[in-house]
Amino acid sequence: MSDAILSLRGLRKSFGATEIIRGVDLDIHRSERHAVIGPNGAGKSTLFHLISGNLKPTAGTITFDGHPIAGKTPQAVNHLGLSRSFQITNIFPKLTVFENLRLAVMRPRGLQYTFWKFIDRDAETRRQVERLLELVRLQKRAYTLAGEMAYSEQRSLEIAMTLASDPKLILLDEPMAGMNKEETAYTANLIREVTAGRSLLIVEHDMEVVFALSDRVTVLVYGQPIATGTPEAIRSNAAVKEAYLGEEVAA
Amino acid sequence: MNRYLPALVIGTALLVAVPYLLSQGLVNASIQMLIAALFACAYNLLCGQAGMLSFGHAAYFGIGAFATVHAMNAIGGAGLLPTPLLPLAGALGGLCFGALAGYFATKRSGTYFAMITLAIAELVHSLAPHLKGLFGGEAGISTTRMPAWGFTFGSTNEVYYLTLAWVLLSLALLFLFTKTPLGRLALGLRENSHRLRFLGYDTHRLSVIVFAISAMFSGVAGSLQVISNEAANYAIFDPTVSAAVVLNTYIGGVKVFLGPALGAGLMTFFGYAISDLTRSWLLYQGTLFVLVMMFMPTGLAGLFGLFGQLRRRFGWGGLLPLATLSLAAALLLSGAGAFVIEMLQRALSQDYQSMATLPGATPWPQIPLFGTSWSPVAASTWLTPIALFAVGGLLAWLARRQMRVLVQREEAAASGASFDQTLAEKTA
Repeated sequence: MSDAILSLRGLRKSFGATEIIRGVDLDIHRSERHAVIGPNGAGKSTLFHLISGNLKPTAGTITFDGHPIAGKTPQAVNHLGLSRSFQITNIFPKLTVFENLRLAVMRPRGLQYTFWKFIDRDAETRRQVERLLELVRLQKRAYTLAGEMAYSEQRSLEIAMTLASDPKLILLDEPMAGMNKEETAYTANLIREVTAGRSLLIVEHDMEVVFALSDRVTVLVYGQPIATGTPEAIRSNAAVKEAYLGEEVAA
Repeated sequence: MNRYLPALVIGTALLVAVPYLLSQGLVNASIQMLIAALFACAYNLLCGQAGMLSFGHAAYFGIGAFATVHAMNAIGGAGLLPTPLLPLAGALGGLCFGALAGYFATKRSGTYFAMITLAIAELVHSLAPHLKGLFGGEAGISTTRMPAWGFTFGSTNEVYYLTLAWVLLSLALLFLFTKTPLGRLALGLRENSHRLRFLGYDTHRLSVIVFAISAMFSGVAGSLQVISNEAANYAIFDPTVSAAVVLNTYIGGVKVFLGPALGAGLMTFFGYAISDLTRSWLLYQGTLFVLVMMFMPTGLAGLFGLFGQLRRRFGWGGLLPLATLSLAAALLLSGAGAFVIEMLQRALSQDYQSMATLPGATPWPQIPLFGTSWSPVAASTWLTPIALFAVGGLLAWLARRQMRVLVQREEAAASGASFDQTLAEKTA
């Protein structure tokens, strides 16, 4: 746990007069699994959009692996080794699962402007796609249209696409939303396995998963982190209980 | 692929045999059909596969054409390239202009993209008559095909084979393109370009390349047109050319690779065959487009898929009566429609109106149509289309009923099977 792979300093984001992210300072260590929790509207997804290049911050800096990435394009951020999933399933619904994963695998293999060879002949691409299919247990769905699968299967596909580029830091935005208990347990285990040796930043509502999976947890309330620490520390933190967990219990 | 191989071989053989089977006039029409088919397939790469609806593809067709004219007239008329290689000039012209225009157009998507392509095409269309050196002003530029490689290129047949070779080659390349990484990414651009960005792709650059390739093959089509016509005029940039390729592509069907070729071939043929018989060709074209969009959004090529699907479901025995009824209904209804349109067009035309009001002329003179004379005020004249409509409507209704019967029979068979199953389970 030496240096940070991702550092946020004084990060702010406003939409018009409304400030959603109100000064976030946060370090994600190398090989750390870090969860962001917080009530609805705390700005968790906005934070992900800022880090992944989907939104430009109003102020502040984001440093990823030594590179300033605030305001860079999503593809530039991705090239540096950061890959993300989306809260609202973001796949290619009218293409097959196989094709979805192949598109995800091709870029890191340097195949994008290639028009002089056939993709079917590329054995390594096929092998990687099949490995990903097996990883998220979608082998039998390889030739189903992605949009026709059950929601939880689409979530699994989303995770597999995120893993395809062999990233240094993975951002998962509510990967288990819509999964049943067995699928959640399997996916939590999968995430633990595939993030070994990488860094993970995860937003998740399932507290059991969050506390079991994460090395550290940050609690975000109204666009500001109110506490960061180990799961145990967060569980016993009075401010967190009041601001977040208390609300959950009351609700 | 192998499944379609016999059909492809037969299709190619028929195309090769065209000059031996058809009259010179029809061979000429075939050249136009082939060119339109290539143009539509090139357009469909952008529109159907990559999901970018361009409203100004005449620009790339036209640039390809003019690039070829200049290549033919270069070096004192000797030509920059031997005649069989001239489409390369069109390809280069289309590619370069496509890359330039595509760079700006693909900065936006959806409606804005469509508007930019439209604007670029209009820009070229309005500039062309003023640029005498480049586009020959309003008169255009004419040229001559030079003999090369032992061919004179003086006969329609030789031009036909040259066109056929280039169209087949281009279609093959366009098809193989869909199998390459870039071709697969075109589908990704259509489905979800936002996600592609987060997978690390530069979607703008990808879009420009796909745009330029589509423009390149459009340029080849324009080039073949010039080689066939031995002239090019700024009218080639006309918005109707852009509109025709959109209509042809959708009428044929964007989801099937050769769908646009089918649509363009058929529409060009009808344009050739019918434009002598009617003045309302554009009306028919538009009506057909609206009907296809309303009742078969997958286009004419989708009919083959539907046919196969129904055959698997109901077998030949169920399908044949259904197909016969539908076809007869379609023929009668379109016959009725055509009769009304042609009759009204003639009765309301200026010629007829002025003839009817001539002093001493009989009021409402007879109108010749479909081999007989019809009085526009006689009840029998209008009873004809009404009868056609009625019979056609009846047949359509019967076809619908037949479809319902087939579905009910299928459901009955399915529930019967499950009933047998439960019975078997109970006794066991």
